[in-house]
Amino acid sequence: MRSVIVLSACFIALAVFGPMFAPYDPTAINIPNRLSGPSAEFPLGTDALGRDILSRLLYGARWSLGLAFLISLIGLCIGTLVGLAAAQGGKLVDWIVMRTTDTFLAFPELVAAVVIAGLLGAGTGSLVFALSITSWMRYARVARGIGLSLKSRGYVVQAQLAGMSPLAVARWHFVPALVPSLIVVWTGMFARAILGISALGFLGFGVQPPMPEWGTMLLDARIHLRSTPLQMIWPGMAVATCVLAINLCGDSLRDSLVERTS
Amino acid sequence: MMLAILGLILRASVVVTGAAVLTFVLLWFAPGDPAMAIAQARFATVVSADVVDQVRAEVGLDAGFWSAFKDWIGPLLVGDFGNSSVTGREVWPDMANAIGYTVPLALTGLAIGLAIAVPLAVLAARNQGSVLDRFAVGIASLGVAIPQFWLGLLLILLFAVQLGWLPAMGARSPTHIILPALTLGLGVAASLTRIIRSGLLEARGQGFLPAFRRRGINEAHVSRDHVAPHAAIPVVTVFGLELAFLLEGVVVVEVIFGRPGLGDFLVSAIFARDFPQVQAVVLLTALLFVVINLLIDIFYRVLDPRIGEHDA
Amino acid sequence: MLSVDRVSVNRGKTLALADISLSIEAGKTLAVVGESGAGKSTLIAAILGLLTPSKGSVTWSGAPVPSCRPALVMQEPRAAFNPALSLRRSVMEPLFARKANVPDNRLSRLCKGLELPTDLLDRKPGEVSIGQAQRVGILRALIDAPPLILFDEPLSALDAVTQKHTAKLIADLQAEEGFASLIVTHDLGYACAYSDDVAVLRRGRIEESGESSAFVAAPCTDYGRALRDAAIALGGLEIAA
Repeated sequence: MRSVIVLSACFIALAVFGPMFAPYDPTAINIPNRLSGPSAEFPLGTDALGRDILSRLLYGARWSLGLAFLISLIGLCIGTLVGLAAAQGGKLVDWIVMRTTDTFLAFPELVAAVVIAGLLGAGTGSLVFALSITSWMRYARVARGIGLSLKSRGYVVQAQLAGMSPLAVARWHFVPALVPSLIVVWTGMFARAILGISALGFLGFGVQPPMPEWGTMLLDARIHLRSTPLQMIWPGMAVATCVLAINLCGDSLRDSLVERTS
Repeated sequence: MMLAILGLILRASVVVTGAAVLTFVLLWFAPGDPAMAIAQARFATVVSADVVDQVRAEVGLDAGFWSAFKDWIGPLLVGDFGNSSVTGREVWPDMANAIGYTVPLALTGLAIGLAIAVPLAVLAARNQGSVLDRFAVGIASLGVAIPQFWLGLLLILLFAVQLGWLPAMGARSPTHIILPALTLGLGVAASLTRIIRSGLLEARGQGFLPAFRRRGINEAHVSRDHVAPHAAIPVVTVFGLELAFLLEGVVVVEVIFGRPGLGDFLVSAIFARDFPQVQAVVLLTALLFVVINLLIDIFYRVLDPRIGEHDA
Repeated sequence: MLSVDRVSVNRGKTLALADISLSIEAGKTLAVVGESGAGKSTLIAAILGLLTPSKGSVTWSGAPVPSCRPALVMQEPRAAFNPALSLRRSVMEPLFARKANVPDNRLSRLCKGLELPTDLLDRKPGEVSIGQAQRVGILRALIDAPPLILFDEPLSALDAVTQKHTAKLIADLQAEEGFASLIVTHDLGYACAYSDDVAVLRRGRIEESGESSAFVAAPCTDYGRALRDAAIALGGLEIAA
């Protein structure tokens, strides 16, 4: 748990403060210096338009990490509400909600996101919408499962007898019990969001140039694969490193959760 | 049992219907004027409003939502996917052609993934805590963190550009499948290793195994008769998840390697706003997904009737 | 007064409760005795309004029971409290829900009556003994002065010494507060010693009912007699001379 908080704080710090360490404006075009390799002047080299890769990488964190954070939070909110509604609502509501969730789950997430983002028109807004709307389902399942098991707990019955509104019962008795499991799901979804954002960026559907998102940077790098192969190492490594870090935290969190409940 | 299975089939049918409606809703409410995009794609030039209207009527976009939906779903139920709104050709033959490139890729990728993951996971689980185990877990964790498209580019760089051993783009010869399949396969191997390993460890932790071992029952028999069924459940789950992974990966991998498969078909159709084609691919993917998950659910029920108690 | 009028409850295909009628006046106690599976929990749920009877009605002074805000003391004290919240917060929940306040010394008076040190309430449920937890449960039931309190096997989780003590505390508080109480239990000795009337529940039906002392002296049915004799043999019940 602590590691997740520390990691999130690091990512947030990177996204917010990283750009301050960027030596150049990430969108500053500098044709004479284009496609140069690593040097003292440009530590990671420059891209096809002469923009400094290190600066773009640092600014890119805002897009790749920041958007991922946003998307995973939106998914968390929608999913939890839906899951709790299913648990609280009685058999018919539960059935309808669950079939809706299954319907959304019928589409492989990335394929659906590609279609949605592509049809809505390339851009950050479409990206956020597409990835959010394809990611809430896992939270819903977890929230519903826990909600159903909590419904018959003694203290939940007592709260209902005391006359607490369903909203108050959810806030005081359901949500605290949900938090550990939801955070585990959230770490996984955060990682998926980073991968999704960069995949969509790579396909041209996501964050648009000149914005320095890591996936879009890889798209640029691909064109010049033969001439400056190094250029594609950095954005990919950035994505892989962040995703790996989150996954490791998520794993340790999941393990400690299993220990606690057994 | 039969009743439960029928219930699962009913559920799946509802989901497929919902998926079809959702697919149609998505495309219906997409912004921009599809008729204009189609006309422009078809005539490769800016077109007048008359031509756009003509295209609109021709493609059936001027009807209301429900009649357009009926027009679409009716033929679909008998297997007619309609005609491409850009080329005018039937959707199915082109899509079938694309599938012909995608299926071998997906299967080869899966095979490579299994060939790496199964032995690795089994060895890791058998020697839990050893250096090999830790290495396997580490490599697998790294593997799932690496974006597929980056891995593909790295492989192209290494094998095609630097070493020149393997071809990169296109699908002209049998060797063209190697790099894309390897890209897919390595990703599959990474996630399969993790899940198979933890499935095996969990099964091993079940109380009755040490008792069997004490009685001297052959280790292999224990593995086959008792560990395998318990490990089968998470592994079968994994196949369901890997299917999603494969479908997603295929889209990206085909674009990178320029293979004219279903992923490439889809992306081109999106760019051209060719609705019938997009709808066809999306619905087919969803159908495949639901059917395979249905089979997996049925398999679970047969294997362990206690599963599914909390399902709605 | 609590009025249960010809209540039947269907659980799936089986009849969990069949044609149950009983009544309790303010200040009085009715004990419902039965084996496990007899339908005691269903009866509680039906009275509290947690499930709707298929036939019959349950009212308090003519109105639906929830309107008088009845309280429930549960069998397993620790399950009755949210493990993440302090006992004080849980105890205050009925008032919290109503956005009402408790008169200043009521809480301390009740704590004294239940022999609970007030600083105990700042602890979490896992940090107190079962006996203390059960008394906190009773405290929560009493805090909003409900006219009706249901007790679902309130002593089962406690050891023998604590049982006697807690039973007495409940009786004393009832005398002070004047609530009507329904005690569900399998312990005939406890039931008869601490109630005015007793009803024997068997397979969803009331086998016999009547004044406790009359029942102990001369049960009307064979089943009732068997229960009473077993309770005497086990030493839980004594016939008053």
